[in-house]
Amino acid sequence: MFSTSSQKKFWTFGDENELVCLREKHNLQFILKHGAHIDEYQRYNFFLTPDEERLLLKQYELHLKEFCKRFSPPMPKGVVGTAFHYFKRFYLYNSSMDYHPKEILATCVYLACKVEEFNVSIGQFVANIKGDREKASDIILNNELLLMQQLNYHLTIHNPFRPVEGFLIDIKTRCSLANPERLRSGIDEFLEKVFLTDACLLYAPSQIALAAVLHAASKEQENLDSYVTDMLFRDAGPDKLAVLIEAVRKIRSLVKMVESPAREKVRLIEKKLDRCRNQENNPDSEIYKRRMREALDEDDLPYSASNRMSLDTSGVSQVSIS
Amino acid sequence: MDSDVTNYSVVGRIGEGAHGLVFKAKHLPTGREVALKKILIKNLEDGIPVNVMREIKALQLLRCKYIIKLHDMFPRGMSLVLVLEYMCSGLWEMLHHNQQELTLPRVKAYAQMLLKGTRYMHAHYVMHRDLKPANLLINHEGILKIADLGLARLYWPDGGRPYSHQVATRWYRAPELLYGARYYTEKVDLWAVGCIIAEMITKQPLFSGESDIEQLAIVLQHLGTPTQESWPGHEHLPDFHKITFPESAPTPWHELLPAVEPDAINLVMSFISYNESKRISAKQALKHPWFINRPLPAGLEDMPKPVATKSK
Repeated sequence: MFSTSSQKKFWTFGDENELVCLREKHNLQFILKHGAHIDEYQRYNFFLTPDEERLLLKQYELHLKEFCKRFSPPMPKGVVGTAFHYFKRFYLYNSSMDYHPKEILATCVYLACKVEEFNVSIGQFVANIKGDREKASDIILNNELLLMQQLNYHLTIHNPFRPVEGFLIDIKTRCSLANPERLRSGIDEFLEKVFLTDACLLYAPSQIALAAVLHAASKEQENLDSYVTDMLFRDAGPDKLAVLIEAVRKIRSLVKMVESPAREKVRLIEKKLDRCRNQENNPDSEIYKRRMREALDEDDLPYSASNRMSLDTSGVSQVSIS
Repeated sequence: MDSDVTNYSVVGRIGEGAHGLVFKAKHLPTGREVALKKILIKNLEDGIPVNVMREIKALQLLRCKYIIKLHDMFPRGMSLVLVLEYMCSGLWEMLHHNQQELTLPRVKAYAQMLLKGTRYMHAHYVMHRDLKPANLLINHEGILKIADLGLARLYWPDGGRPYSHQVATRWYRAPELLYGARYYTEKVDLWAVGCIIAEMITKQPLFSGESDIEQLAIVLQHLGTPTQESWPGHEHLPDFHKITFPESAPTPWHELLPAVEPDAINLVMSFISYNESKRISAKQALKHPWFINRPLPAGLEDMPKPVATKSK
């Protein structure tokens, strides 16, 4: 249930400003960590600004959408929605300079496939990726655990698709609207766009679903206002209705404002990113390769004289010193 | 996200799961005993196994006294470590090493705990799919909890999706699964519950086949050849026509469960039905007279308090 979910408790934010603050904070944190030697006024010549990061991530959200659309075998909507949630959540607490969005994108989709029970093997999955597939599968599998951790293991996502079905059933049974099925194409189109906005970090899935239904109705020159006021919210009281109306209005306006970032701008940002990204997390860098080898070795190491506790031993009564 | 291995001190090894080792450990800041289930990912082709994902999702959703608790998790090298409630014993151990402890009032109490856990899972649309004594753990207070939700998954009450039939340990596997059903319901868990309750009462497994075929043969021999009435639609199950068994009439339940009181037989029968829609729900079963008639289920103060560390 959404009302008792980790999504509501930890991943639904009060307003857009909160999101902006979180993103700026992690942009700055990255720069302070990696750019202490650079003059404060020169910083953004080298590093991405928060706005540049936003634009870049918007571009990658479009890539995410396209990737899922072309995925073979055809991917259920729930997987796409869940992948979008993961991607957005990840970059609320991480900078794109730390982890390249193309790598996180693929990992988000892969994890979403598992969580939504859309069972594809890693081989089938990377068959959808252009380029070096073996490398892609290494990157995805290496990032999977990191992603889960950054999501704080909150894997279950409540998407707007089921509430949409609920509304349609309800409209069919309680409303005089002729042929409600014709709303579907408008709804799908709206939901596709809604994932390119921050709506899913701000509103409940049922609010997003209702916004989609109302949008689709108005496209069909129908009006469902009385369904909302007289049926859905008849007993809820005017203050609750006002909150909902505002949410729906806001979601619709977010969708209206969706636009693709300018290609030239993104190209420049990508170039900048190649230089300023954290090489420790760049799979092509020596430092990354060494770290991965170490992580693998760490698992093989038997308990040694080191004061780090190893879970590999059957060791009894070890004391951890930390 | 500040949890990591340095917060825990490993006390010993408990056992080996499908994907790695299980350790007993102490959470240093609180002194709490926990089980650390370490899932090795490095050699797994597809990364974190779907079963682990299901277990995490299910345990995060389910918060019930009779279902094992997932306290935390953290990565460790190329492994993922789940921090679970520590349980010192289990029903399997009780049935094999402490049979004399399993008096009727205690059996009723365990059955109640099992049913409460099952009722809770099903109320949240989770089916376990692998209920068996080895997956029912018992803690130092004597509380039984459902564990190992690696096969647990969400289901849709409208039953529109196919699921794998390769689930459940053979002795506790419902007949529709033995016939390869891909569309089934949470009622597969209730068949298993019936088998477990019968086993607690008689101290032997109800149907113990050595192979899947023999398992089916034993069930059919006891419940009789399925008919349109006893099992509507059975002839459409994927593997039904792959094998035929000699015609048999049902064995009377008092022969199947000799020296078992009628109330208990009646309850077990309510679970062990070919027709899944006739199988009693966990919620209904909790109201069964067996739990109301004497001897009453034991109170927690009268339950065995296991101390011995479970070692495998």
